[in-house]
Amino acid sequence: MANPMICKLEHGASLTDEDKAVLEAVCAETRRVPPRVDLIEEGENPRFVQLVLDGFACRYKMLSDGRRSIVAYLVPGDFCDLHVAILGQMDHSIATVTGCTMVQIPYDTVEKLVSRHPRIARALWWATLVDEAVLREWLVNLGRRTAARRLAHLFCELRVRLMSVAHDGENGFHFPFTQEELSHMLGVTPVHVNRVLQQLREDGLILLEDKMLGIPDVARLEAFAEFDATYLHRARRTPEFA
Amino acid sequence: MPLYYFDINDGARTTHDEEGQPFADPGAARDAAIAVLPDIARDELLDSDRRSFTVNVRDESGRHIFRATLSLVTEWLDPAGRPPN
Repeated sequence: MANPMICKLEHGASLTDEDKAVLEAVCAETRRVPPRVDLIEEGENPRFVQLVLDGFACRYKMLSDGRRSIVAYLVPGDFCDLHVAILGQMDHSIATVTGCTMVQIPYDTVEKLVSRHPRIARALWWATLVDEAVLREWLVNLGRRTAARRLAHLFCELRVRLMSVAHDGENGFHFPFTQEELSHMLGVTPVHVNRVLQQLREDGLILLEDKMLGIPDVARLEAFAEFDATYLHRARRTPEFA
Repeated sequence: MPLYYFDINDGARTTHDEEGQPFADPGAARDAAIAVLPDIARDELLDSDRRSFTVNVRDESGRHIFRATLSLVTEWLDPAGRPPN
């Protein structure tokens, strides 16, 4: 199976075969982590950058009253904490959602990747900028869209992000999030998530059964969600200034 | 934990909850019914001018155990100051 991290980073820079071999070598040692386990907690000083090769994870923050806010989700190919190589202490926590295959990359390896391989450096920079763009979109989502459009937008984004690393899932994919996790993500109660999912189903925008999400008419769902994939920056800039 | 079902009417459509959600007791289900109303109002007031939202809670036996309604009541106080439609 193609390495999802390489698939993803190829959207950010024209990686050579040598670059890809270097990235592949970094992923040689993997470990399996069970679902719903903390990978790293707020306040920690991690010694590794972690990478998701398989499964779903999420970034979250806990409020003092015990509520949880999920601020991002991670899919195969996503780095959990690339920025921590520079920033040090974690300002949020990261947990698995499903069982995950993870890679731990020591900081000095990240340093070497960046200092010796300009195209990899560019691709990692791209990935960080895209993470920021995703957060910007999510701010608009939380602040200005109804929960139904917010959730529809999440489905549209997830579809593009999964397709760019797996090259399938055009009209459906595994969607493992519980209604409670969705409520932490959307900032509404689980009862509202349940109602909104039901409305999206009734309106024929999605199918959802046994954790499989189906999108019968992608254009219609994207129009409903006001989804424009530009912010995911999957089309590479030409020419590159690396 | 027993399941409770939340049927919601937003003035235009009713969603019947077929899945249900687990809560420790009827009190917790009541709290959830009240908590969902601001979520619904926020959404629907963004999208339309619907003004009354109702949640009916059923227990596992199908009995209706609780209802909560959130209404927005508005009125013009001086007919002369009302803008033409």
